[in-house]
Amino acid sequence: MNDFGKKLFQDSKLAKETIPVVVSSRIRLARNLADFKFVKYACRGDLHAVSEKCEKVLSSYPILANNTVFNMCDLLDYEKLSLVERHLCSQEFIMETNESKLFFTDDHLTSIMINEEDHLRMQVFRSDLNFKAMFDKINAIDDHVSENLNIAFDRRYGFLTACPTNVGTGMRASVMLHLPALVITKQIGNLIMAVQKLGFVVRGLFGEGSEAQGSFFQISNQQTLGLSEIDILSRLTQIIKSIIDYELNAREIVKKERIIWLYDNIGRALGILRGCYCLTSIDAMNCISLMMLATDLGYLPNILRGDLNQVMMKIQNSHMQVLENRTLNANECDVKRAEILREFFAAVPNLKFD
Amino acid sequence: MMEKCQFCGKPATVHMTQVINNKTTVIRMCNECAAKHGLFDKEGLPFAMLSSLGEALFSGMKQNLPANGLICSKCGCTPMSFKETGRLGCPNCYKDLKLLIDGIIESSQKGMIHKGKYSRGRSAESAVNVADGLPNVFPKRHAKKLSMEERLEELQEMLNAAIKAEQYEEAAKLRDEIKTLKGLS
Repeated sequence: MNDFGKKLFQDSKLAKETIPVVVSSRIRLARNLADFKFVKYACRGDLHAVSEKCEKVLSSYPILANNTVFNMCDLLDYEKLSLVERHLCSQEFIMETNESKLFFTDDHLTSIMINEEDHLRMQVFRSDLNFKAMFDKINAIDDHVSENLNIAFDRRYGFLTACPTNVGTGMRASVMLHLPALVITKQIGNLIMAVQKLGFVVRGLFGEGSEAQGSFFQISNQQTLGLSEIDILSRLTQIIKSIIDYELNAREIVKKERIIWLYDNIGRALGILRGCYCLTSIDAMNCISLMMLATDLGYLPNILRGDLNQVMMKIQNSHMQVLENRTLNANECDVKRAEILREFFAAVPNLKFD
Repeated sequence: MMEKCQFCGKPATVHMTQVINNKTTVIRMCNECAAKHGLFDKEGLPFAMLSSLGEALFSGMKQNLPANGLICSKCGCTPMSFKETGRLGCPNCYKDLKLLIDGIIESSQKGMIHKGKYSRGRSAESAVNVADGLPNVFPKRHAKKLSMEERLEELQEMLNAAIKAEQYEEAAKLRDEIKTLKGLS
């Protein structure tokens, strides 16, 4: 594996510590420098100046110093995409990479994009719902940034952003949830509608525009102005907690009313994962999703849950290309994916149903 | 008259015009059917999401027809260029395209006034260090909570200072804010 691969696969705490239903949480802040045009309208020279200024200030912050910084234009396409798969940067960020830089820490729990849609997009992650800890962490970075850079801020509108949908707090908080039982019991549609009515957005695994695969859903706040950070975070936490309750209830209902169906689906999925030689991403995600449900329900040892998160990352198209150190076409990806999964699930013990 | 979705009969919200060999056909669909038929815009947003965003953006524009003549004095951004890119040009746009932006904010955000953290940076030196609603769990240094009366008093002082310094634009903003706050209490 090359240096890039080592950085990508270096230990990710996010993937190891797990609780049922919640996959990961994130807070992202958008900030801009007051003296420059926003990224989409800025000239190359301005973007370069923004990038230099931001990099200088960020690398003087303790947890960011001596960590990974990528000049995005130096990376190969599949390397860029693998960073999106890890949620370290956004899809939009890798579209136009002149003068854009990505900072992230070894634990993959803090990442900062320079010259995305806004000059600075700073994000922190966790594997649980501790928004207070996340906010403290990102807030401290933000204080450091705003003490050292002239950040665009207005008393009326708050932090000024390239799109008025982010203005105010500039904060987007999101939680990735694993909701297989709500999908199985077909309650998910109603739930999504209800969440949207409350001013929150539901998306698929890879954010904007992505489809829901493997029953993974990302829920985030839509509104950023007229609410304080704590209003947003406490409302989101409330909503997430009730969704977790709904999901756990739905799991009980499935166990009670459709147990044979459940055993059959989990059993077949493990069969596919152990015996496949060519598996598409969506099929793989759906099977792994059922294995996660099986560990949550005690049919597989709980210790596997973290490994499942990691293997799910490893079988994403661009991750496999980084592993192989070359471009793979769609068919080669399906074959490689099957190989990784066969090997992993051969070592997994047999299911123990109640 | 409201057009109906050709597939399910619900009110149509997506209208697709296809021109093939000079022959024009119009297909009308509801959001759900459009998504079902895999109609996505070039950035991959499903139409169902796009149209709700579009509604938010354009209802703002319709309400503010005078916005059409606006132009940002710093970057040249206009309501038209915003419509094309979905992005503003620079921080000054919030001042010069205020009419446009307020319309968008009104229809897509929770309120018109920032209630969160204040920047500690130089640009915010004049800012009052107050953020309503930040509770004790978050660092207090950003959140000196003032009562409504104290806040109003502070704003009134700032307004007087702005008038004295002949900063009328600033004064107008403060006056609006005081009005809003009084309306709340």
